[in-house]
Amino acid sequence: MKWRYVRPLLQAPLLIIGVVMIFHGLFGPNISPKNLATTLSWVHFRGALVLVLLCAGNLFCLACPFMLARQAARKIFRPRWDWPRALRNKWLSGGLFVLVLFCYELFDLWASPWWTAWLIIFYFLGVLVVDGFFKHASFCKFVCPIGQFNFVASTFSPLEVKVRDQDVCTGCETKDCIRGRREPVSDLVTIRGCELALFQPRKVGNMDCTFCMDCVHACPHDNVGILSRLPGGELLTDPLRSGIGYFSKRKDLAALVLIFTFGAFLNAFGMVSPVYAVENWLGRLLHVSHELPALGIIFTTFLIVEPLLLLGFASWLTVRIGGSNRALVPLAIRYSYALVPLGFGMWLAHYGFHFLTGLWTFIPVTQSALISIGIPWLGKPLWTLRGVSAPVVQVIEMGFLILGFAGSLVITHGLAEEDAPQRPMRAFLPWASVWLIVWLASMWLMFQPMEMRATVMMSG
Amino acid sequence: MQCASRGSGQRICPLPKFFVGLIVFAAIFAGCSKHRNDESSPGLAIKHEISPDPPRVGSATLTLKLADATDAPITKAHIGLEADMQHPGMVPHSFEVKELNPGRYQAQVQFNMAGDWVILLHVTLPDGNTLDRQFDVRGVRPK
Repeated sequence: MKWRYVRPLLQAPLLIIGVVMIFHGLFGPNISPKNLATTLSWVHFRGALVLVLLCAGNLFCLACPFMLARQAARKIFRPRWDWPRALRNKWLSGGLFVLVLFCYELFDLWASPWWTAWLIIFYFLGVLVVDGFFKHASFCKFVCPIGQFNFVASTFSPLEVKVRDQDVCTGCETKDCIRGRREPVSDLVTIRGCELALFQPRKVGNMDCTFCMDCVHACPHDNVGILSRLPGGELLTDPLRSGIGYFSKRKDLAALVLIFTFGAFLNAFGMVSPVYAVENWLGRLLHVSHELPALGIIFTTFLIVEPLLLLGFASWLTVRIGGSNRALVPLAIRYSYALVPLGFGMWLAHYGFHFLTGLWTFIPVTQSALISIGIPWLGKPLWTLRGVSAPVVQVIEMGFLILGFAGSLVITHGLAEEDAPQRPMRAFLPWASVWLIVWLASMWLMFQPMEMRATVMMSG
Repeated sequence: MQCASRGSGQRICPLPKFFVGLIVFAAIFAGCSKHRNDESSPGLAIKHEISPDPPRVGSATLTLKLADATDAPITKAHIGLEADMQHPGMVPHSFEVKELNPGRYQAQVQFNMAGDWVILLHVTLPDGNTLDRQFDVRGVRPK
């Protein structure tokens, strides 16, 4: 990982795969399970992403192919502007995260190779436009919805980019990890410092860290590396974090965590049988046959009404029973971070299901794609190849959900001990009760028959 | 595109022109790669019916009628039928198609999941010509 070209080496294959996906999505078969754009995006990429986040860290951002395109573009032109101060938060990226989830359901992106290819193209264009105009890693920190997903999930990862010895940093005069390594005479930057404004000695946890390794390469003392740590440990404390501030004072970050968590339930709910009934009921109620209004109501319920009710109720109970001195909103913000493991467990269960049950399906799709361009080297497509059987995967799904629930309880208890040291259980119980409700909902969801919501609303 | 040269040898290009170029490229690309539709084969008509309509999870009867340009039934064709769930990671299912009477073919299709399906037909005509057809079965209902 210390090698300077490790990042491009990881990015290059993903860039090639990305370009292949675009072309197959646009010009290949318009049947979702037979197209590389849909198969690799919605089965393999998502599944591998969450599993790598669980087992290692934010390695996707490290290998992000969009950044390779950006780097190449920045050799031609240089951005001149700073990202607007009003947008230096997670509101825009959180909104884009919701927009992606909404478009995924509304346009049935999983079923459309063509739209999936365009999603990848828009992503490349978005990176080039944002980072073409604005300095540093503005796209990663303030825009990228995938990046925000990774930032939140990686708070539960076992690896972190951090300093080995704080004393070395104390004695450091150049601060290359943030300023970049410069040529002595011309002062030109030869190795970038952190573009996401994370100053290593005061960096806490994985939030906003893309694992780009710039700080690792820039540090003249070899004092920054990828080190192991307690997963979720950073959610237990609330220190001043470089480039972020205090978690407890970041409403935008708490909102992002809620989108991450309740978005996981929403995304899974969109794939099970009861969503039919809900959409049809809403359609009859509103006298509409289009999915848009029904979907809008479902999103509002999942992402606004439900979190407000659950967190509001738990906050109120914590004040009444636990005797917390905090006001309701700061209390809700503080404890919302404890939802990360629960939400992550749900993403793992959902995406892990598709990944594991469809593990080998990329093989026949690749064989078929090669045959279509006259390269039969890999033989006839083996369409019977699948993956792990559904009953086995269901056990693994349950494991992820239990792990998430346990993680949320541990973090909540830690927060309660800090918040109400005299009576921690009284502060803990309201939140634990709400998390239990959320967890039971996740278990119910996982045992629903998976049924792909149709692209038309049904009557009867 | 006019690019200014800096002392370091790095070329700096004006951004707006670059992005105008990008947008033009995207627009052309979008125009060139319009949505694909299944091509029709002149001289051959394939009509299909499904029962129950709309279908539900489980068994459904798919009836196909093959006729030539003069509306005469095409007999003794071999039809391979494949049903695909419109979701990546799903395995295609193949079903046997039998000719019930001249030009009328039938298959029992098993829809094991609610949602949108695609039916692919691989037809081999009596004269040895082959053709592929595709049609959607949208909104298979839950049981």
